[in-house]
Amino acid sequence: MQRRTILKAGLGLASLPLLPRFAFAADQKPVTFWYESASPENQDNLKNLLVDAFNAAHPEELLSIDFRGSDLDKQLRVAMLSSTGPDVVFTAGPSYVAAMAQAGQLLPLDDYAKKYGWNERLLPLFLDLGRYEGKLYALAKTYETLGLFYNKTLFAKNNWKAPTTIAELEALADEMKGKGMVPFGAGNADWRPANEWHVSIAINSVAGPENVHKALTGAIQWTDPAFVAAIDKLAEWWDKSYFGENYFSLTLEQSFAQIATGQAGMAPTGTWSFTNVKPYFPDNNAEPGFVGFPSVSGDPIFPLGIGSTLSVNAKSENPDGAAAVLDYMFQDDFYSKMNSVWQGEWNLPLADLSKVKLSDNVLPLYTEAMKELSASVGAGKYGYTTWTFLPPATDTYLVSGMEEVWLKKTSSADFLKKLDETFKQEKDAGKVPAIPPRA
Amino acid sequence: MHRLYIVPTMIINVVIVLVPALLTAALAFCNWDGISAPTFAGLDNFRALAADRVFWSALGNNMVWTLVFLTVPILMGLAAASMLLIVRRGSNFFQIVYFLPVVIATAITARVWQGMIYSPVTGIFGILKKYGMPIPNPLTQPPLALFGVATVDLWHWWGFLCVIFFAALRQVPQEQIEAARLEGATYFQMMRYVLLPGIRPTITLMMIMTVIWSFLAFDFVYIMTQGGPAFSSELLSTLAYRKAFYDLNVGQAAAAALVISLFGLVGTFFYVRIQTREGEQ
Repeated sequence: MQRRTILKAGLGLASLPLLPRFAFAADQKPVTFWYESASPENQDNLKNLLVDAFNAAHPEELLSIDFRGSDLDKQLRVAMLSSTGPDVVFTAGPSYVAAMAQAGQLLPLDDYAKKYGWNERLLPLFLDLGRYEGKLYALAKTYETLGLFYNKTLFAKNNWKAPTTIAELEALADEMKGKGMVPFGAGNADWRPANEWHVSIAINSVAGPENVHKALTGAIQWTDPAFVAAIDKLAEWWDKSYFGENYFSLTLEQSFAQIATGQAGMAPTGTWSFTNVKPYFPDNNAEPGFVGFPSVSGDPIFPLGIGSTLSVNAKSENPDGAAAVLDYMFQDDFYSKMNSVWQGEWNLPLADLSKVKLSDNVLPLYTEAMKELSASVGAGKYGYTTWTFLPPATDTYLVSGMEEVWLKKTSSADFLKKLDETFKQEKDAGKVPAIPPRA
Repeated sequence: MHRLYIVPTMIINVVIVLVPALLTAALAFCNWDGISAPTFAGLDNFRALAADRVFWSALGNNMVWTLVFLTVPILMGLAAASMLLIVRRGSNFFQIVYFLPVVIATAITARVWQGMIYSPVTGIFGILKKYGMPIPNPLTQPPLALFGVATVDLWHWWGFLCVIFFAALRQVPQEQIEAARLEGATYFQMMRYVLLPGIRPTITLMMIMTVIWSFLAFDFVYIMTQGGPAFSSELLSTLAYRKAFYDLNVGQAAAAALVISLFGLVGTFFYVRIQTREGEQ
């Protein structure tokens, strides 16, 4: 008797995960969405602002979200390969979209784009980046840029102004060093690909976005003198200790905190670092500043990055529901609510941000930075981040290869030669993401 | 009839080990990004690996790793186990203390060492620096990075060997130990002529397993340095992982995995031979 009870209880417990499907099977169609890691607070934000809100607005659908952690990408690839996986597909960027579309794992979204008006609602550049062989397969979930964070309070105290040219940046960095500060608050102990932020900055600010575009489209090689000069400049900054002694020991958060405490003067990082402003700047009675990274010409450059993309699984049993979820996200209302509570991860590429209303708690600096980025993208004046526009093997080589240059295990020219070889191999294999023409 | 007894384990082995192993071997001769359909590439993946200097440095690092693990933890384990045997008082307590790091999750051990010991900001090294004893974080120095990670793995690993050796030493006939004591043998003489010969099969087995495990080492390196800085702590396993999941080059990853298996196979060959010999005896 007792054994039977235990068996029944075991069966009951085992079937718990299936309950939502059975309970609503009659009148609701499930839509599944696998998400990467998110803090408990942000998991709640997604549940309240996306899952509950979408299900309330679409009673015929039942959206559920599953947090898969930092291994989402690998899990997704295995699942998609075996013709399963979620209905809404979250990829790590355009280079993954091309391979998945090529393998027939993603559903073309052109009909949905027409039906929902995405072509008008989204910035055209991001639609181009989601295309493969003329068909739309992905929408950019969030776009970001690299720039220069600094401590406004510290700058005011020292009568410094934010640099606009490389020469000004270097003069300021030398002055900071003279005062015992680390010029660049930077570290990669918990995220080695942080190296590529600096490479992206160097190739865009020193070699220029036009040259990067030419290299990406194959018009010039990565061994071009313009890129050698850019990598040499980055190596020079390393040699002059602009990155400090502890670059390989500091985590991203620790290095960012240095600019709030005044240990470091500036931080070359991206818009995702806005998340770390609140925990560190107010406690140190400091005000943050953010500008586009200085360049040789003096015009600020915003290298464009796409953190992740959203698609519909070609094997989805409810593609209409999945597309409805995408449509729900790409609305002014969702953008406003989500960005009010969670900045940096949901910067959806809406063409018109005039109807977006963020909460008063959101830093005006963040709103300004995003508007400036949106305007520079709209005007075609943007740079290129390596993680968005380079194919996978070229990009991973760049991360370790730059360390080899810094640590004198290779020269800038040899590093770029290997980078160019890897890029060519991947270009021939069709792995380079779509590169939109430059305005 | 008695051969039927091995059927259940064979089924599990075929499904979980043999099929993936054969697939890996086949993929080593293919171009595959892990997403689309694989295409036959002949020996291209092996040629590419042979031309890749990172592959050779990773192989060299694996050799160094193996040498370190064949000596340091085995010596530490033997020394501590023999002490436990001689000084019986408190041996249970010390066994638990030595074994404790083995049961702590790898990720926790790695993060504790990275953040609370090595870090110049939040770790003991940072405190030492404040008191005028600057020690560089080994994980950030190319010549030291591999040893910095190996130290952590050693700390986590040697207690296991100590407990194994202690268990083996307790099987050494007490009369032999007593006789040696009566003859006035020193500690080193006792080790050389009584204890080590008594547990030689256990030491041999542990050394063979160490060779196999050393080529499978992955977790501590991946968490603490991801093979960096500048590939200085890259092992074959982290190289294979990077090729498969970051470069989307599963073919080359499978080729690297085959090289790892080759070393494992050599170890397994010796292990089986010794086992067979012991069985015959």
